[in-house]
Formats: sequence, C-alpha cells, structure tokens
Amino acid sequence: MLFFSFFKTLVDHEVTVELKNDISIRGTLKSVDQFLNIKLDDISVVDEVKYPHMSSCKNVFIRGSVVRYIHLPAAAVDTALLEDATRREAAQASARAKQS
Amino acid sequence: MADAEEGAASVGEPLDLVRLCLDEIVFVKLRGDRELKGRLHAYDSHCNLVLGDVEETIYVVDEDDEEEETVRTVKKQSEMLFVRGDSVVLISPQAPS
Amino acid sequence: MSFFGFDTSLPRDRGHQSTAPGFGQTHDPFAGLSQRNVSANDEVLDFEETYDGLGDQLDETDDAFNDDTFGGEPANQQSVGKDFDFSGQTAQIADTMKEEQMLYAARQPPQRQPSPPKKSTRPARTGYEKYSEPTYIPELQANASLWGMAPRQPSQDVTESYHRKHSEAVPPTSNRKMMSLEEVEAMMRAQNNLKSTTPQPAPQTSQPQPRVEQAQLPIIPPQQGPHPQGQFPNFSGPPQILQRPQQLSEQRFQQGARPPPQGDKQNQGVQHAQVFQRQRQAPMELVAHRSQHTSTPPGPRRTPQPRQILQNPNRLSGHGQPIAPSLSRPSHQAHLTGPMHARGPSYPGAVVTNPQQLLNLSDEDRAAFLAEDARRAKRNHKIHMLSLGNGLMTPQDKNFITRIQLQQLVTATGGVDDQDPEAALTEDFYYQVYSQIRGAARENPNQPANHFAQTYLFQTGGRYGLAGRRHPRGGDNHMQRMEQQVQRAVEAAKAKPKNKQLVIEGSLGKISFSNAKTPKPLLNLKRTDSADVRPSSAGRRPSRHAAVLDRKATLRDIENVYSDLMAMEDHERHLPPPLNENSDPESIQQHMEWRHTIQDLNQKLWRDLKVMEPIVPNSPVPHPFIAILSHPKGKKTVPRVFRHIDEQQRVTILTMIVVHLDTLDVVRNALLHHDEPKLSRMAREEVELFAHSVIPSLFSYINEAPLTIVIGLLGLVLDRTNIQNLVRTKIGLSILTMFVSRAEIFKQSSAPGDLTDSDWEQWLQLYNKLFDIAEPVLPYIFPGSVNDTEDVYVWQYLAAMGVGASPEQQQRLVLGVKDRVMETVNVSKALPPEIAATRLGHVNLFMRAIGLDVELLG
Repeated sequence: MLFFSFFKTLVDHEVTVELKNDISIRGTLKSVDQFLNIKLDDISVVDEVKYPHMSSCKNVFIRGSVVRYIHLPAAAVDTALLEDATRREAAQASARAKQS
Repeated sequence: MADAEEGAASVGEPLDLVRLCLDEIVFVKLRGDRELKGRLHAYDSHCNLVLGDVEETIYVVDEDDEEEETVRTVKKQSEMLFVRGDSVVLISPQAPS
Repeated sequence: MSFFGFDTSLPRDRGHQSTAPGFGQTHDPFAGLSQRNVSANDEVLDFEETYDGLGDQLDETDDAFNDDTFGGEPANQQSVGKDFDFSGQTAQIADTMKEEQMLYAARQPPQRQPSPPKKSTRPARTGYEKYSEPTYIPELQANASLWGMAPRQPSQDVTESYHRKHSEAVPPTSNRKMMSLEEVEAMMRAQNNLKSTTPQPAPQTSQPQPRVEQAQLPIIPPQQGPHPQGQFPNFSGPPQILQRPQQLSEQRFQQGARPPPQGDKQNQGVQHAQVFQRQRQAPMELVAHRSQHTSTPPGPRRTPQPRQILQNPNRLSGHGQPIAPSLSRPSHQAHLTGPMHARGPSYPGAVVTNPQQLLNLSDEDRAAFLAEDARRAKRNHKIHMLSLGNGLMTPQDKNFITRIQLQQLVTATGGVDDQDPEAALTEDFYYQVYSQIRGAARENPNQPANHFAQTYLFQTGGRYGLAGRRHPRGGDNHMQRMEQQVQRAVEAAKAKPKNKQLVIEGSLGKISFSNAKTPKPLLNLKRTDSADVRPSSAGRRPSRHAAVLDRKATLRDIENVYSDLMAMEDHERHLPPPLNENSDPESIQQHMEWRHTIQDLNQKLWRDLKVMEPIVPNSPVPHPFIAILSHPKGKKTVPRVFRHIDEQQRVTILTMIVVHLDTLDVVRNALLHHDEPKLSRMAREEVELFAHSVIPSLFSYINEAPLTIVIGLLGLVLDRTNIQNLVRTKIGLSILTMFVSRAEIFKQSSAPGDLTDSDWEQWLQLYNKLFDIAEPVLPYIFPGSVNDTEDVYVWQYLAAMGVGASPEQQQRLVLGVKDRVMETVNVSKALPPEIAATRLGHVNLFMRAIGLDVELLG
C-alpha cells in the first residue's frame, strides 16, 4: 500500500509516465489504484513525432503493469516522510513474514 | 567487524538489505539494458522504487554497415523517479567511490 | 404365442428407435417386414437393418396422403392444430361412446350407485376458475379417472363409480359432452399453445376429421377395443378405455364395412394382448395410440404436433394395409406397429407407456396442477403482504434510508479512512501524514497524524539546500537565529564603545597597500596542511573490504536508530490522558507503564546511537556515532533524536561531535584546495544537510548552555582538533561561532553574580588561543572566490570574534580579511542593488562588530 498511498499525494500533479514500449506520456495524475493503474488528464506524448498514436487522446487510463517509470515533481515528494513510510512498510512486511 | 556480525542477525530477508540503502545512493539494473543511479527514497516488496536525483543510463547497440556493433550510451536525468518493480533486475548499494 | 412374441421383440425395437427414420417412410417396407415377422419372430433384429436405409427412401409421393392426414387446407398453425384434434374426431362418435358407457354401466349395476363424488379431486382444480365451466371439468376429471384411476382399482366398480360420479357431477345440460374427449384434448392443446396453466377452451370445429379418421382407424382397432370384463378378469383397465376403442372400431367398421361384432371380438383379443404387453414391457407404440385416443395431459401437452405428425406414417402404413391381416395376425400387427412406433421415443414427452404409468402421470399432473395453484396462491398472498406497506414512504424517504444503509455499509467494510486510525496509519502512513503537513485536499478530523505531522514538518527533510523549497523554517531558521545572536552580540558590544575606529580606519588604509605579499606563503602552508590530513584519513580505512563492512554496519546502526525513533514516536501518541489529583489508580498505573516504556525505548535508542562507545584515539575506524553522522540519513536523525533525549544526553552528543569535529565528513571532505576551488556536489550537499539538521539542534542547546559548558566545549575543540582546518569549513566555523557568540552574549546579558571572574578568565584564554591559531588562515576561510555569495557564515564568525576581540585583535582581524572586504565592496557596485545590499549587509555584520561600516569604505 505504500506506493498507493504515495501516489495519492501526487494526484493533480503533473507527471510523465514512461511505458515499457518507450512511449512517454505527460499529463496530470487524476487517480491511482492499488494496482498502480493510473489515469492521466490533459495528456501529451513526449515524442509526438515518433509516437503519433495518441495525438487525439485527451486522457488515458494506463494499466499499471505497462509502466516502466513515472517521473515525478521532486517538490511534491517529502523524501524524509517517504523513507519513514518505507521503513514502516518494511517493518510490517517482516512482522507479517515472521507471523506466518 | 564485530558490528557487522552482530548486525547480521537483524538482517533476515533480502529486502532488509535494501532497507539499509534507504536514503543512500543505489545502483539499479533494469531490464532492457538500463541502469539507474540515484538516491533510494522508497521501495516495497515488489521492488517498486522511488529514486531521487537519478541518472539513467541506456545502453543502445548500434549496428553499422560492416555489422560492427557499437554500444552507445544514452544518459537521462530525473529529479524524482518512480520505477515499477517488474523492470528491476538488481539493486546494489553504491559504495562511495 | 403371439403375446410372447411381442415381448421378445420390443426391447430391440426400442433399441432401434433412436435411429428410426423420419415420418416420411413408405409403408411398403413395413408390409414386407410384417410379413416376415409372421414367419419368424426372432428376426426382429432385421428391422433395424431394414430401417437404417429408410430415411433415404423418403417417398415424396406419399405427400399425396398428407391431405388425408392433415386435411386439405393449407397447413397453418390453426388448421394443423385442428387436424390433429383426434379427440375432435372422437367427439363425432361421442354418442356411440356414451352408449357404450351406458352399456358398460348397465353391465355393472351395483357399482354405479354408491360412491359420492370425492372432493379430493375437485379442490385440486379449484385454482383454475376457468375450468369450472361445466363443459370442461367433467372431462378433465373423467379423463383422469379414466386413465389414471383404473389400474389402481382392485375392482372396476370403483372406477365405474368414479366415472359415474364425474359424469353426474356436471350439470345436466352438458351431460352429453361429459364423455367426449374433444374438449379435453382441446384444452390440452390450448395449454400447449399458451404454455400456461390456464388454457381457454377452444370450441371445436372439426372439419378435417373424417379424413383423419380414415388414417387412424386401421391401427386403432387392433389395439383397443371393447373390453369385456369377463374375458379378462386380470385386467383391471377402466371401462372408459374400452369404450372409445369400441367407438372407434365401430366407426371404422362403418367405414370399412366390417361387421362390428367380429371386429370387436378380435379387437378385444388384440387389445388384451397389447395391454398385457404394455403393462409389462411398455412398448412405444402405445404412446402413439394413447395419444391418439386420449391425449392425456403429459403427452400432448408437451409435444402435441410432432407426435401426431409422427404418427402419420403409422396410420398410413396401417391404412395401406388391409385391415384383415392386422386383425388376423394380431401379434404381427402389434409387432409391426411396434417398430413403426419406435419413432415414438424421439418425442421428448412420450413417457407414458402403460396404464400404470398413465395413472401415475395423471396423479402427477394433478399434483402439478395442485402445486401450480398453491404456488400462485402463495404468490398472491406474498404480493398482498408486500403491498401492505405500500405508500407509507415517499421516494425521498426511501432514498434517505438507502443512503443511511450505504453509509453503514461503507463504514462496515471500511475505506482506509474509516478504519481504526491505527490501521489507517499503518496502511496509508505517507498519505495521512503528508496530508497533514501539506494540507492536502481532504480534512479528516480523525486523522491520527498530528503528532507525526509535527515530527516531519519541522524536520529538515532536504538533503541539499532544499530549505527554500521544502521546509523554509528548517535550516534558514537556524541561520537567521545564528545571525540574530551574532547581531545581539554586536549590538551589545556597541553599547560600550571602544572607540577604536581611527585605528581601524588607519589599518585598513595601511594594509591595503601591503596586501599582495602575504597570501602566498600561507597558501603553501595550507597546502601542506591538507596533504597531511588526507593520507591520515585514508589510512584509517585499511581495506576496501573492511570499509564495506564498516559501511554496512553503520547503515544498520542507522536503521536501528530509525526503528527506535519510530517506536518512540508511536509510543508518544499513546500517552495516556494527563493525570490530575482525582486520577484513579488505573490511569496512574497506565502512566507509570507508559513512562517505563518510554524509558526503555530511550535507553535502546541511546545504545543504538553508539554515543557511549569508547573513544579509541588514533583508531583507523571512526567512532560509530561519528560514522552514523557521516551518512545523510544519520545526520537527519539528530533533530529527531534530540526530541527524545534528555539534557545530559544532548550535551554528551554535543561533546562527542565537538571532540571529533575535524573528523566529521562535513569537515574532512569540505576542505578546499587551490586546485579544487569548489566542493564536489556531494560534499556540498552533505555540508548543507549537516548545517540544516545537526547544527540547529546543537545551536538550540548551546543557546541555553551556561558558560562553563561553552568553555568546556571550546577547550575540547582546541585540544582535540585541527583548528586551522576547522575554520576553513562552514561547519567548523559555524560551531566556533556558536561558542564565541554564546559566550559574548552570556557575558553581556548575565547578571553580575552569574559570571565569575575565573570563568571569564578561562574563557578569554581559550578565546585568545583560538584567535591566535585561526589568524594565519583568516584570508582563506572564505569559500571560493569573491563571487561566491554563500559566505555569510564567515562574516558571522568574524563578527562574533570581532565583538569579543581586543582592539589589537580587531586590527589583526581586519588585516586578515581586508582583501575580501574590499573585493566584496567592489563587486557589489556592479551587482543589482538588492543583491549588493545583501552582500554588503553580510560584510557589515563584521564591520559593525568592530565599530565600522562599509559606508566608511565607500
């Protein structure tokens, strides 16, 4: 849930999603789910000439599994908090592992 | 040395080693001849990552007319990058050089 | 003989049925087969072989008989339905049947009278109001008893009584039709067509019946005929069964010009045999016959038309054949009909094969009707019950209730936000706390993160000078406070003027002439200095392998510290409600436990910080705590750690840092070399991080510390560290500035009794020592070139030193830094006014500390 929680804070921020087929789509993050599927609004394809597929699209739903990177605005990320959230998640995971 | 042995007990799982790298600079190898170097801000059990101040290196193999292969590297920068875990091959602590 | 012959052949017939050809087969082959059967019953097997090809031999010319079978009219649904209205034909002989019935009744006088109508059957029908019309009910019931009741009756008197009961039950006007199956069948058809349980009786207009009869008749007689009781005492078939065949046979005989009595007798024999056979083996032909005659509910209702169509070949074949042979060779006829009717099983509904089954099915049918009726009544009742509350609530009311329910549902299943706060926090920590800090869109009053928000809000999250964009209150705040403190010291110093201005002005002017010479040797000196430091620091790490191990151990230490911190922060949130005088023992106990736990956690944190690890002089391995501080995340722990430790622990940490000041990475790696005028980005980031995370914590402590502490710390610095390296780094200078300015303020602000002479003397000694050591490198304490704007910390240090300096020392200060002062003033002239003002303001920080102002230089 860490990254779901994380991406929720990035809603309405401008991000660039780089897909595994090398297409990069820039847009406003509108929503995200636990599978990290994402919805982008007002999208533009970064290399429009090379990938004209989606010139006509205004918004897209991207299945999480096809994502390679998501470029984020660093100013919108609280790294210290994120690191602690990661530590908490890791502690939970190992606690669960010990239980089972 | 004593510290290392003592601490070894607390490292039970592979990802615990990754935890040591939190807020450290790590080297990440990805599928598709890509490498990342950046500060690790987050990870989870799927190896999803958030890296800060990332330098991405892509190794592109160019084949010229004589079928000689030359490896070209493309470098990209990103101030904050989410990396989907299914692309990750390995995560390595980047010892200070 | 013949009966048994039937028996043996029938199973095979059945086996054949699945592959039986369609209804269009010619009758000739059957005739031949029947002939063969006459000679040898055992050859029944040949039928299958014979039949195999029959489908291909469909003789379209036989269509000529279609008119006979279906009537001449174009076959639409309506007309066809009537064509196969066999009971309609029967109706034509209704009179005869009636007669026969009467005749039978006459033969059984005693049983006629008694039994009153059984009500049990009637209630079953009551659900079907439309059936209560006089024309139907009798037939339905007569039918049921006719086929269903007979076998059950041990003696026919009961059956008879049933029959009589039903016939008598109907009103006299319709009495005549009682016996006719016409309406029964019509009803069945209607049921079929409507697929409903409430068929409407269609008035019968049996136009094509004569032709149909022709086709039918040849077959029917051999199978069913009048059934004299005396002849077949074992057979308990109902009299009605016997009636209709009788009628049919009569009709046939009329058409076929056969004398009825003979036919009757022969038919009786045949029928007996066949009935017997049916009872035991259930040949399929009976299905067809039965459906022809009676159309009992199950059969016709399910597949009315196909069956009748399929019957046609049968009739045709029978029709084509002389009647006599069939009569004379009843067994063969039966045999013949068997195979022909073998097509029967392809009808899905053809289940009833003997009277026993008929009985059962009739019962089932009745039961079905009953069940149906009961269901409907139940449904109606239910609807009634449901409609009781109709109109009580408006749609708005319902909507309201629905919303409440939805809300409860959401609460029960739990969005993350609605769960217990702890669970929400663990699952959604980042979002919850982040929302608190940054005021994200949602305001959830239940958000549990206030405490965490504070933790992270004031934490200096930035790694590399992010103060501006991230937490403006963090590092800059510290610098401002430092500046304020220095300024306070300066202002205080000004309050007691030393009147050294002339001397200083003179020195400035003088020194400016003899400026160029001095730097060089000092620069060389510095270079050797740094050369000394480097190898020694490198020598501390024997091998790369050990270094990696050290690094991993240190990282582990840091993560342990983080775990402790998070545990403590979690625990803090569980602080029980504050105690008062009225607190009950239980809450006091809670408090005790809470304090005990926090104590334990504190001890664990303290251990994990490794501050108390023994200091090994000249050890190749840095002290564990210092190693922790060498990592960015180690530096970041300091502000959080300071929140959870007491004064004693804080001063211990401060002491630890001070003792190792020049081995801190931020000092060691921040030394500038002439060939390396700028710090690497990494080093710069580390320095900034240290300045923003560690220094403020130390500063806040020093700011409150008594002079003795400051004296002790400065003494340690002077004893244990390389001051000349220290003053060339931002961190070193910052810490020195803290000490010096604190001492100056303490001196000026303290009440006369607080400051003992001995303390102050001790301080002055240390101050002078520091001044003397640092003086040679004064020109080199500035970072980078004059264009480097981030030199405010140097001016702060100079100001702090200048305030407490003697006139002579002030002059030496000016001598040391006058180049930078002049350069900065000159550079500022070319800068935009705002930046120039800022830079001159920094310089003035120092100038005013010694009673001057950059204005004087202009």
